[in-house]
Amino acid sequence: MVSKKFTKKQIAMGILCMLFVITLLTFYIWHQAESIRLGYQSRKLEEDITSIKKDIEQLEAERASLLSLERVEEIARHKLGMRPPEEEQIAYHESATQKKKEDR
Amino acid sequence: MKNPREKKINTRTFILLFFLFLWLGVVVLRLFELQVINHKNFKAEVLRQNHDVEDIIPQRGTIFDRSGTILARSLPRPSIFYYPPRDESLESHRTKINKLKRILSLSSNSLNSIYSRIEKGKTFIWIKRKVEPELAERVKELHLNGIHFDTENKRFYPQGKRAAQLIGHVNIDDRGQSGIEYRYNSILAGEKGKRLILKDAKHREYRFETLKDPEPGKDLILTIDETVQYIAEKELAKAMKETQALWGTVIIAHPSTGEILAMASHPTFNLNVPPRNVSSMERNRAIHHTFDPGSTFKIVTASAALENKCVRLRDRFDCTQGKIEVPGKTVWDHKKMGILTFPEVIIHSSNVGTIQIGERIGEDNLHAMIKAYGFGEKSGIDLPAEERGIFRPIENWTDISVYSLSIGYEISITAVQMLQAISTVANGGIVTSPRVVKKIRMSSGDQLDTNLQFRRVISKETAQTLSQILENVVLRGTGTQARIDGYRVAGKTGTAQKFDRSIGRYSNKIHTASFAGFVPVENPALAIVVVIDEPKGLFYGGDVAAPVFQAIAAQTLRYLQLPKDEPFQKAIMTARVRSAEAR
Repeated sequence: MVSKKFTKKQIAMGILCMLFVITLLTFYIWHQAESIRLGYQSRKLEEDITSIKKDIEQLEAERASLLSLERVEEIARHKLGMRPPEEEQIAYHESATQKKKEDR
Repeated sequence: MKNPREKKINTRTFILLFFLFLWLGVVVLRLFELQVINHKNFKAEVLRQNHDVEDIIPQRGTIFDRSGTILARSLPRPSIFYYPPRDESLESHRTKINKLKRILSLSSNSLNSIYSRIEKGKTFIWIKRKVEPELAERVKELHLNGIHFDTENKRFYPQGKRAAQLIGHVNIDDRGQSGIEYRYNSILAGEKGKRLILKDAKHREYRFETLKDPEPGKDLILTIDETVQYIAEKELAKAMKETQALWGTVIIAHPSTGEILAMASHPTFNLNVPPRNVSSMERNRAIHHTFDPGSTFKIVTASAALENKCVRLRDRFDCTQGKIEVPGKTVWDHKKMGILTFPEVIIHSSNVGTIQIGERIGEDNLHAMIKAYGFGEKSGIDLPAEERGIFRPIENWTDISVYSLSIGYEISITAVQMLQAISTVANGGIVTSPRVVKKIRMSSGDQLDTNLQFRRVISKETAQTLSQILENVVLRGTGTQARIDGYRVAGKTGTAQKFDRSIGRYSNKIHTASFAGFVPVENPALAIVVVIDEPKGLFYGGDVAAPVFQAIAAQTLRYLQLPKDEPFQKAIMTARVRSAEAR
């Protein structure tokens, strides 16, 4: 039987091919792992954004509640001793008057 | 010729490469089988094991007032549910639930319902939905097996009872039950989406794919002004306390646009903590309740008289007797008034004079004018369950209907219909549909309500004459308590006897007091209707409803910075602090 003799070049090519395939597979696995890692990270960031948005909405609602007019009037009248201005304490600026007329 | 050593190396290399490629071939074949031949089946299998499809619940839209104040918003709240572990005894389940009883303030009814569901073998049982986060934390600390948590949205009304009947409320599943929440439910609720969640071997979520985008609920911007609403509710509550009345309502609107600035009803309730008897309190008295208008309806009679040229301003009517006979009954004035001109009949609200005017108008003309004003029909306001009121067809009128209708009886109307009538006069004879939603906020921009309908009811001349007469009602007639310093006010009082079922006729002991007016007479900015039902003590519209109008209008005009009709000082609008001596 006559066996074919591989030249060094052919062997090197073979090894290179194998290395290429192994590199390709390694890259594929790394890519998958990285995608999953980024997926976790992205999910966490999305959750953070949602949570912060909810916090903002909650705070806006709380602010609206704290600024409710009953509460403001109660504090103004009873804690700060304020009262509505008398008629003679109010004056209207002429330009404001004109603007209001135009608005209407 | 190769030597044996080289031959041996070549053979070994060949064998090694052969097995290596064989292995590679097997791997490739297996991959081909997995990824191509059986791809569909394996993907389905993997998805079945490692994925979940869950609903994406859209957040319900927020309701704002016209200046951006939040009136209703959905906020996330934890809900607690129970998956009863199969291997546990009934007693063990009960012990666990009992531990939650005090923390979650579970009523005995709720507990019984939970126990009953456990006994029936249900696998999913709500313990309590939409609880405060602190309570959920306390439950979590107990580490009870089978107790789980979910996040839902709960409606929160930052202003509590402000415009409660107008805004309405939602049920536990966030579906609108009344008011704007009900009328605009489909717009506020949005549409559910669907999401695919991929999980790893440890059930950690690592990938999300949106199968269907949720359509978030759209925000509503109302025509209501929170401050004006506050003023209306505050003054109405004050009047209700003073008069010990049964119920009351106030509506404030822009006469030219039909935009409702405030709509208050009393009794009222806090939307965040609705009482058990909420059904009676959630009635929006402005649109859900009808009443006999009495003398405020003389606006319509006067319109018919002027429009059909049945009277001239100088025509005189004999009201000296203080009473008039109509078939089957006698109608009285509240005092003897002598000979009155047409405007004076309205200014002093003489029933005797108005009946004589009604006689001149005739059935057909009066009927046509009442229809033209829209009585007996819904005003078209964008709120649910509006009443039409009661206005009988002309074929069913009796001999005295024309007289009764002239003075505001034999007809039942809503406060919003009365608002339509007074707005028509204020707006030069043109009526607009009232509305409470100004804009719908969408991702693509705000959608304006462009479906505004304008309709002429009376001529401009008739409206102007009526405005002058109604201004005199406030200056020297029955509505003097509606006067506001510096502003020209027009309006009409009404005091209607109520029908008492126990005696089968109108009673002279129970009344509905009302006032409908607008201000300033020149270029009106506000049209206001006040109705107070069954006030105790004083009961005339001029004594009970007109002062409420005055208080609300004066504060609202100041808030809106609407200048007075008289010349002003040249200074910036400001409140000067009084000196210590002045105090």
